[in-house]
Amino acid sequence: MSNDRMDEDMICALTADEHVALQAGLRELPETMPPRAVWNRIRAQAEAEGLLQQPFARKRSTWYAATGLAAAALLATVLLQSTAELGGVIVPQDNLTNTVELSNLQTLMVESRRLESDLRALPTAPRVARAGTVATLSDIENRVAAIDYQLNDTEFYMTPGDREIFWRERVRLMNLLLQLRYAQAQRAAF
Amino acid sequence: MSKFADIQIDPGIIRRAASGDARGHEIIYRAFSAPVYSICLRFTQVPAHAEDLVQETFIEIMRSLAKFRGEAALGSWIRRIAVTKSLMFLRSAWTKRRQSLADDWDDMTPGEPVSHGISSHPDDALDLDAALANLPDVSRTVVWLHDVEGFTHKEIAALMGKTESFSKSQLSRAYQRLRPMLGVEADTQPDGAAIGSY
Repeated sequence: MSNDRMDEDMICALTADEHVALQAGLRELPETMPPRAVWNRIRAQAEAEGLLQQPFARKRSTWYAATGLAAAALLATVLLQSTAELGGVIVPQDNLTNTVELSNLQTLMVESRRLESDLRALPTAPRVARAGTVATLSDIENRVAAIDYQLNDTEFYMTPGDREIFWRERVRLMNLLLQLRYAQAQRAAF
Repeated sequence: MSKFADIQIDPGIIRRAASGDARGHEIIYRAFSAPVYSICLRFTQVPAHAEDLVQETFIEIMRSLAKFRGEAALGSWIRRIAVTKSLMFLRSAWTKRRQSLADDWDDMTPGEPVSHGISSHPDDALDLDAALANLPDVSRTVVWLHDVEGFTHKEIAALMGKTESFSKSQLSRAYQRLRPMLGVEADTQPDGAAIGSY
């Protein structure tokens, strides 16, 4: 069979509508998470091959962790006080930066808390939802949880710059989560 | 384009991972593990093989991330690695079975019905999933690469070490088999309102 003839036959395989339906159906198929043990296997192999940086010595990291915890406690106290002074009202970021000199990291932490508060304010997720949306929401929540795990891991030292990167990513994901949940809530309302 | 393209990672985290930071790599893994595993599972159909391929893919990412220049999206780069690993696996499996990457439709009974408890309801993703799983490995892979990942026949041919005609032929045969699943009410015969984009 010539190539032209073969192409002609293939064009007859599906109509345009069928092709669109097929593509839409395929893209709606849910994704699957690998078992948790897979990451441990990857990490073990990467460490064995020297692909990952060795962490600081335990003693040193413990010292850094203690310092970090103390700083975090101090920061939390300052933030709680400022929130209390504002009557527990969530203040937009612009106002905060105008009234209190906050570092980028602190701003991100406040923003993250604001987003969490906004998320809690939304109605609960509908009982019936599109599988794709549920999978995406679950994926983002997993990623936020992974970042939280990293931020709370006292085993390794993290510079303020490093923390800022992780907090920025957390804020970005929380924004994404909020947008999706908001859209879901709007759909459920109709 | 598949879900790979929708996933964004902060450039700072990519830089950290590129320098060998375990946390950065874990963030990348958490973000991309589901699409990578899904594509590996889609191609191999065996969870244990898919897990091995996920491991190979992310180890390759760790080895090569320092060379990633950011010219393409990170998701596209990771997808390419996952696809290449999966195809290499499929080809090696066929080699072991002393089969070429030619056409494993011969393994199937001609005219074998698609339905394994499959309805023709167009919204039933499980049915389409089952019908897809019922295709020969090569055809299923071609369908997925072409219609979900957006690869051209030229790219598929290059990845598989085959010709474009081979890719088109596999797609056509897969379409014929999947067609009863689509449930589209068409007034015209397929050769009357056909698509010409592939």
